[in-house]
Amino acid sequence: MGKKTHKKFDFKDTEDLLRYLSGQGQISSAKRTGLSAREQRSLKRAVKNARFLGLLPFVG
Amino acid sequence: MTNTKHTYQAMFLLENGEVREKGFSAVRDWLKGTLEKHSIDVKVLRLYGERKLAYPIGGRVRATYVLGWLEAEGEAVNAAMRDMYLVGPAFRMRFFQEAEIPEAELAFGIEEVNDADLVILDDQPEEVIEEEYVEPEEEKAASKDAADGDKKTEGKADDAKAETTETKEEPAKEAAKEEAK
Repeated sequence: MGKKTHKKFDFKDTEDLLRYLSGQGQISSAKRTGLSAREQRSLKRAVKNARFLGLLPFVG
Repeated sequence: MTNTKHTYQAMFLLENGEVREKGFSAVRDWLKGTLEKHSIDVKVLRLYGERKLAYPIGGRVRATYVLGWLEAEGEAVNAAMRDMYLVGPAFRMRFFQEAEIPEAELAFGIEEVNDADLVILDDQPEEVIEEEYVEPEEEKAASKDAADGDKKTEGKADDAKAETTETKEEPAKEAAKEEAK
């Protein structure tokens, strides 16, 4: 059986990150995104870094 | 304690006004100089783009993004950040520790940009044109009716007030008449 690869999110790839945000800019739950715990953490960090750098909005 | 060197990816947000005034090359050299002052090895420094911010930061609506790949010690990164926040056109930055520099990024090196080709838009907020509200005639008529209704109710309320004062006055007058008798 092959080793499972985890998706790493990049804070610069805002188009990809936007897929995992709600209309109000909230990060969707792992239940909704279907990501593993590690991937969900990677998504969270990427979104928060993108928000800090003004690439993504905090709200709306 | 041993100070080990790590690879970092860094993103800098620069003020559009200063980039326009001094030119991108001058700002990039300042950035490189500040990093090297703190013994940071700058591998890549490239223009990521000039874009609108997702939300206004300190009154700024647009910013110039510069992406860098560096090799440095953790303490040096902290010192450089402190230095850059104090003076210079960089108003926001973040460093990310990475395993290695991608080859596609290494190809950029210290990027040279022709200032004439770089279009930096004004960072002033867009003017909001306020159109004068013209009330539709139906709404006008409806508001007029409502106003008339209010007047009528006010009139009624005045009458009621007058009546109550009269009723209060009447017993007082009668008492005075009896005293006179």
